[in-house]
Amino acid sequence: MTTVSTSPATRTKTAHGSAPKSRRRAGVVIGRLGLWAWLLATMIPLVFMLITSVKPEGIARSLPPKWLFTPTFDNYRHVLAGGDGLSQGFNDLLLHSAIVTAGSTLLTIVVAVPASYALAMRTFRQRKFLSSWILSTYMFPPIVAVIPIFIYAGKLDLIDRYPVLIVPYAAFNLPIAVWTLRAAVLQIPYEIQESAMVDGASQFTILRRIIWPLLIPSVATAAILSAILSWNEFLFALSLTRSEVKTAPVGVQEFTGMFGTQWGALTAAATVIVAPIVVMTLVLRRRIVSGLTLGAVK
Amino acid sequence: MPRPGRGGGTFRSSQRSRNSTAWVLMAPALALLLIMTIVPAVYLLWASLRNKTLLGLTDRFVGLQNYRDVLSNPDQLHGFARTGFFVLAAVTLELLLGLLLAVPLAAQSRSNNIAATLLLLPFAVTPVVSALMFKELLNPATGWIDYYMGQIGLPAHVEWLSNPTTAWVAIIGLDVWQWTPFVALILMAGLQSLPHEPREAAAIDGANAWQTFRHVSLPQLGPFIAIALVLRTIQAFKTFDAFALLTNGGPGKSTEIVNLQIYRVALQSFRIGAASATAIVFLILLSLLVPLLLRFAGRNADPEEA
Repeated sequence: MTTVSTSPATRTKTAHGSAPKSRRRAGVVIGRLGLWAWLLATMIPLVFMLITSVKPEGIARSLPPKWLFTPTFDNYRHVLAGGDGLSQGFNDLLLHSAIVTAGSTLLTIVVAVPASYALAMRTFRQRKFLSSWILSTYMFPPIVAVIPIFIYAGKLDLIDRYPVLIVPYAAFNLPIAVWTLRAAVLQIPYEIQESAMVDGASQFTILRRIIWPLLIPSVATAAILSAILSWNEFLFALSLTRSEVKTAPVGVQEFTGMFGTQWGALTAAATVIVAPIVVMTLVLRRRIVSGLTLGAVK
Repeated sequence: MPRPGRGGGTFRSSQRSRNSTAWVLMAPALALLLIMTIVPAVYLLWASLRNKTLLGLTDRFVGLQNYRDVLSNPDQLHGFARTGFFVLAAVTLELLLGLLLAVPLAAQSRSNNIAATLLLLPFAVTPVVSALMFKELLNPATGWIDYYMGQIGLPAHVEWLSNPTTAWVAIIGLDVWQWTPFVALILMAGLQSLPHEPREAAAIDGANAWQTFRHVSLPQLGPFIAIALVLRTIQAFKTFDAFALLTNGGPGKSTEIVNLQIYRVALQSFRIGAASATAIVFLILLSLLVPLLLRFAGRNADPEEA
């Protein structure tokens, strides 16, 4: 927006001739420099993580940081396979994380698609109230829900089992999924549904044959967001799992122990957790921003 | 929106049946949300009136005693104040920085495409991982930040996490690092969606870049700023991982926010009644604040079809 061209009319009106133009240029350059300075500075933690994860253990913590060395994948091998001071291989934790993520994402979508279709139905009188209520549950802090869930999961013998993470994650992802999908349903021209209704199609047929195929891209957005949030979740996983379904984020913080931190193991585990999401986020940047703003930003 | 040319008895009865279809379609989502939000809230309300502990030693009705304890305990009240301070400071910084980054980013170019992609990287990092990386980088003995700060002549060997002020700088810095990209991308999308004509008209009328931005683009950007503000405020109130792993509420209790207090009282000292009262107070404060925010956002957002 700062690249607005100075028209001849402007020049005749300003007293200093072409001064505003050059000042505008300077503004653009300063803006660009600031942007790239920010980008470089924010890469530091990621560069630290990646570099340290392939450093030989002997020089991992040496100062000044060594930048030239023969990269090694020992840390990854050690962390993934487990043994040697590790209670569980990271392989197991990644598998638990993947199962929890897949389960909760699937549950979110299966529940959210019909709900968002109903919320977009013009004949559904309570749609406004229910839409706002579902959105308002987004503000519900998980820390508040974790106490009762912890107690009931204990009573029902569900601690350290998959449903105890899958069901709450699906619930917490639901407002985002429903709002993304509802916005998408509203974009589908009503006339398509109307002509199907005239042809005698039932609501379920319309949902399955007409809405669903048109909705697939938005379903993908909602699924990716649910997957990222579930993969990253920490509080519930920390409180409700022990070892059987312990997830990767809970496992990674155990590398920072009282006896000093094993940088190699920590950074290798961190890289393994982050890599799939970073790749997904970068590939699907626009979809993710549109989804996280509940469909408000296209 | 009522559609013209409709009405009559058959329509009304088919409308009723469609209403029940809608309820059927809604049922699983409503059930899931009821179980995970309303049921826990009711449980907390009940537990907050009892001196229940998880070890089962006491579980007796005590009336409002837990609430009296929460509201008269300076530690608890400080926890609420710290939470408010954190949300205010972090969200304000993120909006300002996000806006500063969005302006150069909004110009369409190939280098900006790369920039937008790089910008999103921190946002993609698992919060647990970013908190742990910050903690290691800030380590006064072995961390990179301290070493390179010393190299360029800044004060070295700062005990970042042992001093309340620097601990706050670290934790707000972490939140700003993680979430500014999200704000910047919303505002970038907003700037890119604005029509050209008003800015061109302003330029023709002799407005300089700042005047054009201040009086033309910024007001048009209102809905996007509102969305970013509301979403970030809600998310910031839910922050747990960063505090648990970077400062763990320390040094002392100087960064112990409500989320951390509730976690400790409930799941580390197992005082369910006391934690429930804090949780209910927190919920009440949030449910007073969020509608205000939403109304503010609604005033700034486009009238939405619903």
